Formats: sequence, structure tokens, C-alpha cells
Amino acid sequence: MSDSPTTSGRGEGGNGTGRGNGHGAGRSNRPVDPVTVSVIQGALENIATEMGHKLMRMSYSSIIRESEDFGAGLVDPNGQGLAESAQSTPLQSGPIPGYVQGMLRQLAERADPVRPGDVIMHNDAYAGASHGPDVAFIVPAFHRERLVGFAVTTAHHLDIGALTPGSCGIVDAIDAYAEGLQFKSIKVYEAGRKIEPVWQILRDNIRASDLVVGDMEAQIAASRIGAERFVALHERYGSGTVESAGEAAKDHAERLMRSAIAALPDGRWQATTYIDGYLDSDDPTRRNLPLVATVTVEGDAMTVDLTGTANQVPDRPINMPLVGTVDIAVWLTVRSVLLDTAVHGHIPVNSGLVRPIRIVAPRGCLANPVFPAPTIARFCPGNQLADTVMKALAQAVPEQVSAGIGNLNVIAFSGLRGETHWVHMEIFEGSYGGRYGMDGMDAVDTLYANTRNNPIEDIESHLPLRVRRYELREDVCGAGRWRGGLGSVREFEYLDDGGGSVEGEGHGYRPWGFRGGGDGRPASLVLARADGSSAGLPSKVPHTVVAAGDAFVCEGPAGGGYGDPLERDPAQVLDDVLDGYISAKTAERDYGVVIGPANRLDTAATAANRTSRRR
Amino acid sequence: MKFIGVDIGGTFTDVVFADTESSDIRIHKVPTTPDDPSLGMLDAVRGLCEREAIAPAEVDHLFHGTTIATNAVLTHDGARAGMVTSEGYRDILHIGRHQRPQHYSIRQEIPWQDRPFVRRRHRLTVPERITPPAGEVLVPLDEEAVRRAARRLRDDGVEAIAVCFLFSWVDPSHEERAAAIVREEHPSCFVTTSASVSPQFREFERFTTTAMNAFIGPKMRDYMGRIGARMDEAGVAAELHVMSSNGGVATVRTVSERPVSTLLSGPAAGVLGGRWTGELSGRRKLITFDMGGTSADIGIVDEGRFAEATARDTWIAGYPVLVSMIDIHTIGAGGGSIARVDPGGGFRVGPESAGAVPGPAAYGRGGTEPTVTDANVVLGRLDRDYFLGGEMALDEGAARSVVARLAGALELDEREAAEGVVAIVNANMANAISSRTVQKGVDPRDFSLVAFGGAGPLHAVEVAARLGIPEVIVPPFPGITSAVGLLTTELRYDAVKTEFQVSSDLDLARLNSDLAAVESGLASQFRDDGVDRAEVGFERSGDLRYVGQGYELRVPFPAGDIGTAEAGELFRRFHEQHRAEYGHEFEESPIEIVNVRVVGVGHTPTIGAPRAPRGESLAAARVRSGRGVFRTAGGALADVEMTFYLRDRLPVGELFSGPAVVLQRDSTTVVPPGSTARPDEAGNLIISIEDSP
Repeated sequence: MSDSPTTSGRGEGGNGTGRGNGHGAGRSNRPVDPVTVSVIQGALENIATEMGHKLMRMSYSSIIRESEDFGAGLVDPNGQGLAESAQSTPLQSGPIPGYVQGMLRQLAERADPVRPGDVIMHNDAYAGASHGPDVAFIVPAFHRERLVGFAVTTAHHLDIGALTPGSCGIVDAIDAYAEGLQFKSIKVYEAGRKIEPVWQILRDNIRASDLVVGDMEAQIAASRIGAERFVALHERYGSGTVESAGEAAKDHAERLMRSAIAALPDGRWQATTYIDGYLDSDDPTRRNLPLVATVTVEGDAMTVDLTGTANQVPDRPINMPLVGTVDIAVWLTVRSVLLDTAVHGHIPVNSGLVRPIRIVAPRGCLANPVFPAPTIARFCPGNQLADTVMKALAQAVPEQVSAGIGNLNVIAFSGLRGETHWVHMEIFEGSYGGRYGMDGMDAVDTLYANTRNNPIEDIESHLPLRVRRYELREDVCGAGRWRGGLGSVREFEYLDDGGGSVEGEGHGYRPWGFRGGGDGRPASLVLARADGSSAGLPSKVPHTVVAAGDAFVCEGPAGGGYGDPLERDPAQVLDDVLDGYISAKTAERDYGVVIGPANRLDTAATAANRTSRRR
Repeated sequence: MKFIGVDIGGTFTDVVFADTESSDIRIHKVPTTPDDPSLGMLDAVRGLCEREAIAPAEVDHLFHGTTIATNAVLTHDGARAGMVTSEGYRDILHIGRHQRPQHYSIRQEIPWQDRPFVRRRHRLTVPERITPPAGEVLVPLDEEAVRRAARRLRDDGVEAIAVCFLFSWVDPSHEERAAAIVREEHPSCFVTTSASVSPQFREFERFTTTAMNAFIGPKMRDYMGRIGARMDEAGVAAELHVMSSNGGVATVRTVSERPVSTLLSGPAAGVLGGRWTGELSGRRKLITFDMGGTSADIGIVDEGRFAEATARDTWIAGYPVLVSMIDIHTIGAGGGSIARVDPGGGFRVGPESAGAVPGPAAYGRGGTEPTVTDANVVLGRLDRDYFLGGEMALDEGAARSVVARLAGALELDEREAAEGVVAIVNANMANAISSRTVQKGVDPRDFSLVAFGGAGPLHAVEVAARLGIPEVIVPPFPGITSAVGLLTTELRYDAVKTEFQVSSDLDLARLNSDLAAVESGLASQFRDDGVDRAEVGFERSGDLRYVGQGYELRVPFPAGDIGTAEAGELFRRFHEQHRAEYGHEFEESPIEIVNVRVVGVGHTPTIGAPRAPRGESLAAARVRSGRGVFRTAGGALADVEMTFYLRDRLPVGELFSGPAVVLQRDSTTVVPPGSTARPDEAGNLIISIEDSP
């Protein structure tokens, strides 16, 4: 370990039950009963979901309303998470407690109190924010003049005034200042009064500012409704009861996680994967960078140590904020593996859930960068980190994981119509590796991202773009008893001159196969010019001029295989051939399955082929 | 006029007969015959006619609520379906919106990948491409390729084909031509096109709906054929109408072409039945609350109109469905919902259900998990002898023992645990109602809750009290409200066209001509059903949003020519609705008309108020008293003395106070302390809630 490790354990650590810290009107120390806990927890989740529902429906830009790249949640006065919206992406809702804690620190340093009617804008990646474009609007909730918590929405904004259009693919920002506007706990309303100069700065420094400011207003409206409902809940049940129930709900979530961790054997498991970084860079410290995760389980507690991960890249924005990105990536994987919704049903999400997990990351590594190292393009490295944690956990609970997962590419399309910018961001799907008893999920958003694509019919009706192709990528997947998921092929053609930038990962590395399964396939990206020429692109492309008729052609990655492909049921292999997922040649080469004339399974030849290869 | 309504549920087939002249209502119930529901239907209709001495030939109208389509989707048991789609886009059905149904799950399934309506081997592409906004043809339709695809699918044994091309809502001609070619090559095939099923943008949702239509099409067509034959057999000559998800009925011809329009047939009839019930008592603002064994359905009726689901919130079995539906919110809360303690010590109720088999422990059929019904038994709210009209004796000891086990795990006493189960399930249902009211800017305190289904009246008052709803209405026959709802409907068809026009640059001529075209399309549909244009009423609306938004709000449009003034008015209304629903409006923003919609309504006669059974006095209606447990205003549990009444002996107009329990054959109504009940002239039980906790 280089420097002293930093942990992101979140404040409280205890696991007492039903603590009501009793002062103020109508409150008591009475431990709250399990029925009330359940009822109030349901009410809190209902409020968070309403916030998310409203934000998504009100917002203007497709990255929020279609991709659902937003979050909504309620936290207590200390920034401890109470509930998050069911609709919203994990990378947006998860960081909300961190945003509020960062804001509380900054306001305390300035001796600036939070007052009723304040609305605070925050995006400081070194104070809890996930990265600059994910701006939070925080509305304090006061019940009878006492601060009882915050209602918060976060959303990915199209543009926050970085060096080139859009808010993804800003892959050549050299420091935090190049990434766009930095909002370090800025009050946009103070005691109910709108702070007009701040809004003027936003309008003047952000491209497509009508859309972005509209989305910000939508966020504020949704947060205010959340705060209003939260106060009404206090009014109805009494603050003592609501707060005790909130504590009990966190304790409950903590116990769920502890019991899931305790079910693992004690032990220590390490895994390494790599990110591309800048594959076209001459500087070896910018490419092929290791991510290392060591998971240690002792009793009902888990430590995830990222020591061994590459040093930060001081002048390129693939560094991952420890609070807001790294923590979310780790929790996402641990949570999805140990408390899988498909197995365990609905699990309440609050700050208690992650108390048993300690994260260690040496200061100055990719997973704990030092200001002003840029972080705006941390999305794909963070998702790779989530995959790395999965690879470590796979050794402990092999039947609960997926083999290597294909990472994502994000493209920002932009152009000018008169003096107005249009910006459109599209996330290109990855795919999951094979799972015990199940093939991998095909062509989906992966891990901590779970956004939605935009309908072709919406894109082409509103933007000078044409989607020329959107299909599965055939005959390319990680072979296995349960094969990896298939990637996609998607082509975007420009109908007008414009520009594009790319922020992606996974062009250089194949998603890992597991337990005898084959590795998956990396993604690739080509810029096909109107004149017929074409150029292969790396996974990071700063803003590039694109002409009408040019197209980005993206082939998504294919996840790793799980288990020996020779053990795959021949009938399933035949199905894959009939459906065109793999060719008959691949069936024979990878699976030892021989398909005869008229697509009939040749059982005898298959058995012989498999027997000879097992020898 | 004489009507028969047949509602086929999972367990029972309910038949209702109504005579509009005599205001007579008769009901009959037989077990559902799942393998061929038309058999049970025949039995039920025959049984009713024989028992009540009704001549089948005299029946004027036959209305039917069916779960054929829904069950085919839920059990994924449909036709071998194929698809002909645009070259380059073979996998729209499979990739979907590239979102996983669950955020936090490795071992989840993705319905459209794991259980596709059309397998990839049967999704064939053909060269063709239309582009927006005007429908310019980028690639002409390759008719030979369509022919080859149709032959190949025919040779593969495909029985139903969905023709799904991009931008067919801009210009359906490629789809229509391709469908014609497919029919030529494969005449026995069920052929459907995406523009005829739902001419709206969003290709994944539209293609999925169309694929689903193909998947269930042959089944529905056969079923409709069998029903026709059975009714002939029974001597019923009346024309058959089938309940659609949009709250209207459709003819056999229409339903056979668009079976996806019947996916919410049963629940929609429930909302209609709830509306009819409330309106008989003069209430026009209603929340319908239908709680059964495994789930509760919630609908909103405001001034006689039911809320419609927005296209993007409509899902069946995890698949999106892009057709008009009443907004019915279903949650996993019912009498069979299981209460448990999770590994973290949390107290949960549902959504897992013990179902009908083994059912709650109190059913004595081997159920070992504590359920909502068991909790109600422990609280003394269900009568051992009168449950389901005495057809099923409740095993109180079994209920107590499973609740005691739950109580032990929670370190609560048995009554606290039982009351907790009911409180949690009620809170879940109140949250569900709140998501359709409070969260949409609708104040539930202005509404009455109409409670029906086996368990609705048991929970309604406490659910209403949580939301500040002042009144609960329980219909005379809570268990057959859906079947009655069938008799209160009308012929109702929807049509939609994606418009994509912006307020700042509005082409009124195009808007008016599109509306006229949609209406004339509907008129010809009614004409094909033998309904004259003059008898059809049109209701126009539009889906509007601020330019850039992705979700629309439904705004009513005026009839007749829309000029600048009318357009200004509807944009003003949109701002207003946006503020009401979301708490915010964007005054400066231009507005986009995304879709125009027209609902055509062909009025059919409906039934009047029934003659409800009426008793002589409260004393005569009283069967016994018993101990029950309720939570008092102070928060403590109290043992109270409850009066048990028989519903059909209650005297009209006489008020009685809770705590009381009203028993009847198909449901039990609880009137908790602090509320009062009164049977009214319409036969409804009106419960007033004095204080909400």
C-alpha cells in the first residue's frame, strides 16, 4: 500500500436497534414496532418513487427521460439514505447520501446554514458527487422549523459547459476545471428567493441551455414535492416515530446484508481486470491499466480493497471518485450477487445496507484520485471495477455470479442548428456473461448502469440522425455450458454535418470466461465515412468533426462463457444455430456439436466429437 | 331488453341476467372449465336460463369478459408466430430498450429474451425503409423478399405472422402490401400489422404488441368460433360482445383481429361495475377497489370517466403493451398474501400468495404460511360459518397457530402480529391508491371508495381511512361486480395517429385532416359492425408534451374544426394539466402534439338500478355478536364486541355503527369502530368514516 488507505465507510457504523435520538416536538425514545417500521418504510419508498416518476416525466433531454439516467431519494439530516426511487439508475440514486454529506461539509466550512426555502445545487466530484454532469438539487425538509432531512434528485445533464459539446466523451479534459462548471454547494434559491445571477451564469455557460435549465427546474420541482411529502409524513406520524422507524429500517437493511455476508465462507479472494484507458496514446501510463479488487470476508463484514489498482491518470478524466462512483460500483456488485432481487425479492435500499462493507483505496490511485485530477469520463472504468469485484466474488459464490461482463460505449452526437446546439447522448449496450444454469443477458446495459436506449422512431423524428442498423451481433459470444450474452450492432448516420465524441471501454480486453467457459469478445467502433473510407476508433475519442453521410458503427461486446462448452446441451446448441446466434461451424468448433443436413442434430457424430476432445 | 353478462375468472364463471324492464337481476355461478372455458360458459348460461325460466332466444345482448388472451400471455401458451420486419432491424423485439427489468440482480430473466413471442428463427427481414417526417421511401418494399419470407415461415409451420416495419405509423402502405402478400402465400395464417394494432411511434413497444397479437391471435379466433357454436347450442341468438381493456365492448370480428385489446377484459369490467355501483348512489368520483385472493385492482373514475393508462406504463407479464387500456393498478395484495419475517427481521406481507391451493391455513387445505385471511380470522373479522356463504368452514385453530408462529418470530403478541399483517397490507394498498391519486394531483378525499371482490369490503374502511377518503360503498353483490359491469358498457373503439406537430409552427389543416381521417376510419369500423354513423359519438383527445419531453399528457380536444383559438385553448389546458399532475409548468416552452386520438362510442342500452333485497329491521338482520380486535385512536389494541349482520336482511336507510361485520354469500364487510353504515335505496351499503387515524 502506498499512501494511507482511505475508506468510504459512511459515518454511523453501529447496529443498535430502534434508536430514536429524542429531542424536539412530539418525539419519544420509544422503540418503534416492526409494523410501523414496515408502514413508514413503504411510505418513504413511495415518496422517492413519486419524485423519480415526476422528474422522468417532466424532463426534457433524452438522457433523463428515455435513458432514465437520474436518481431520486430521501436522506436524513446527516445525509444517511432513507429511500431511493425504484425508477432511476443505480449510479444516480446510490450517490445521493454522498452528495448531501459533501454539501453539509462544505456549507459548515462556510458557516452557511441550511434554511427553509433553500435549494442547493451540487456536483463536486471531490465532495460526494458522482461526476460533474450529474448535478444534484437538494431541498431541505423542515418540520415545525426543525430540519428533518433532504429530498434530492440527481440527473445527468446534456452539457455543463465543458471544453467540447456534450457531457460525455469529454475524454481530453486535463483537469477538473476543463470538465465544465463546478457547483460546490451553490444555493440557487435562498430562503425561497431565486438567485437570478446563478441562473444567468448557467444560461450563459451551458450549451443547449433551454433543455438543461428546463431539466434543472424539473429536478427542483420533483425535489420540492419529495420534501413536502416527507414533511407531511412527519406531521402524520410524529417526528419521533418517523425518525425511529428510519433508524430501524437502516438497521434492518444492515442485518439483511450482514446475514448475506455471514452466509459466505470466511476468506480472501482477489481479481484483476484491465481497462483500455487511451489505447492510442504513446504514454504507457495512460493505457492497459489494471484494476485490482481483494474481497475479504470475516464473519458478517466484508472489506473490498482496491490496492494494486493503477495510479491515477493526472491529466485524463478516467479517474473514479471514491465517493459517488467507486463505492456505488462495489455496492452494486455485492448487492446484486448476495441479495439478488430475483432470488430475495425487494430489498430496501438505504444507508444501512452498505454499513457492513468497507472499501479501501489508496489515495492517488484510479479509484481514489486527488483533486484536481479530472473524473468526468469515469463511467466505464467504474463499471469495469464492478466487474472486477464480481470476478473476485465468483471464487466465493460461483453459482451466484455471471462470467465476465461486456462494458459500454457512450457517444455524444452534436451539431448546430443556426446558433443553437443540439446534443444527443446514446449509451451502447454491453452484455452479461453466462450464469449458472442460465445464458448471459444479451445486449443490455450492464452493472451499475441500467439506462434505456432511445426509440429509433423518436431519434429520427427529432434529430438529423438515422439509425441504419440495430441488431444482435451474430456468431460472436463466449462459449460455455451457459454461453455469454450476445452483443449488438448499431449504426448511427449523420444527416447533417456535426460532431461526435466517444467515451467507452472494453475494446482491448475480452470479458472473462469462468469455470471452463470461453472468453467473450471485445467491442469495436468504426467511423464509416460517406466517401466509403473507414477508420477503426479506440474507446476514447475526443470531439471529432463528422460530415453528413458519415456513420458510427458500434459492435457491442459479448460476455464470457460459463462452464465447459462441451457440456452444453446439444439441443440448446442446435437452437442457437437455428436462431442464427452462432453458425454451424462454431457449434462444431466450440461445442463439439455436429449438425447434419436439414439442420438435424447428428447425435452420434456429436458424441464422438465430444469424447475425442475430452481426452 | 334482456341482457346476459358472462365473466370467466380463474375459479368461477359468473353469469348475470338483467331485464331492463323489470329491473330484475339474477346471478349464477359455476366452476370455470380451464381447458375450454366456453364449456363452463354454456353450462352457466343454460343453468341460469333453466333456473330462472328464461327463454335463451329472448336474450337481446350477450356480453363476455374473457381471460383467454391474458392467460395465453401469462402462461406463454400461444401460436407458433413469425415476423416479417425491416432489413437491419431483426432484433428490435429482443434488444428492447436495452434495460434490465431489475437493477440489482444477476439471476434475473428478461421476458422478451427468455420467452419471446417470436423466436429469432422466425423473424425474417425484407428490404424496405420509410423515413420521417413525410414518409419518404428510402428503400422500396422488396415484394419478392416478402413472398420468400412468407413461404419459408409457412413451411416452418408458423400459424401467425406479424408484419412490423419502422415508421409504419407515418405511412402504413408497405406493411399493408406485405400483409397482402403474406395472406396470398399463406391463406390460413393469422396476419397482423403493427400500424393496424397501434399506429404510434416507439418501435419496440409497437412491435412487441403486434407480436403478442400474433401469438394469441389463432387462439382467440378459435375461441370466438367455439363460443359462437356453444351459444347456438344453447339457443342464444343474441349478438356477442366482448369486453375490451379500454372499458368498452367490441364485436367478435374486432376482437378476433385485435385480441391484444382484451388483455384487461376482466379488471376493466370490474372498474365499470364499480362505476355503475357508485353512480346508483349518486357518486361520480370513485376509486374502485377490487381485492381478491392474490391481488388488488385499483381504478379511478372521475365524473363518470375512467383514467386511461399512458402507453408507457402498460405492461402485461413483463411485456409492454401499446393499446388503450383503463388505468388499472394491480398490486400483489390479497387474502392469500403471505406474511413473513425476512432474514433481517423485517415484517413483510406479500406479494407472494398462498393462492387458492393450498390457500390460507384457515382453509384447512394444507396451507402452512400465515396469510392476510388468517390474520383476519384471528382478529375475529371473518365468520366461521358464513365464509363464502358457508361453503367453506374456516379452521380458526390453524389460523391461530400460523399467526402465533409469526408473532413469535416478531416478538409480538398474537393479536399485535395479526393486526400488523392487516395494517401492512392495508398500507401497501393505500400507497398504491396514492400513486394513482395524490401523486397525479388528484385528492382522494373528494372520492368514494367502491369496494368489491371477496376481500375488498373486509379491508376497505381501513384503507380509505389511511387516505382520508370519507366514504366506502359496498355493492349489493360484491363478488360479481365485474359480471354486472359487463352489462353497463358500450361499444367503444379507439384510434390513434402519431402527429408530431409543435405549437410554435402548427399546421392546423393537417391536424384537422388527420382527426377527420381517424374519425372516418372509426366510422367505417362501426359500419362494418352494423352501427350507423349517426349513432356513434366521438371523443377526441391528444397526447401532448413540452418539446423535448418524453412523456405525454392526455388533453381533451374539441369536436369540429380546430382553429387558432381552439388550439390556444388546448395548449392552455395542457399547461394546467401539467401543473396539476407534476406541480410545475414550463410557461415559455413550445408544446408538441405527439398523437391525436379519437374514441368512438356506440351506445348500447344499459341496465338500471336493481331491486336489492331489503330487510325489515336491524334486529332481524342481526345474527350474533362476537369479539373482535381493532386499533384504537390512541394506538393501542382493544378487544371489542362486534355485531354480525346478514346483508340481505338489512333494512334500507337505517344507520348502524361499527364495530360490526356484515355477512353475505360472496364477501364480508367490516365496519370498524368510529364508522357508521347505512344500506341505501340502490342496495349499496354506504359506510361513513368519521375520523381518519
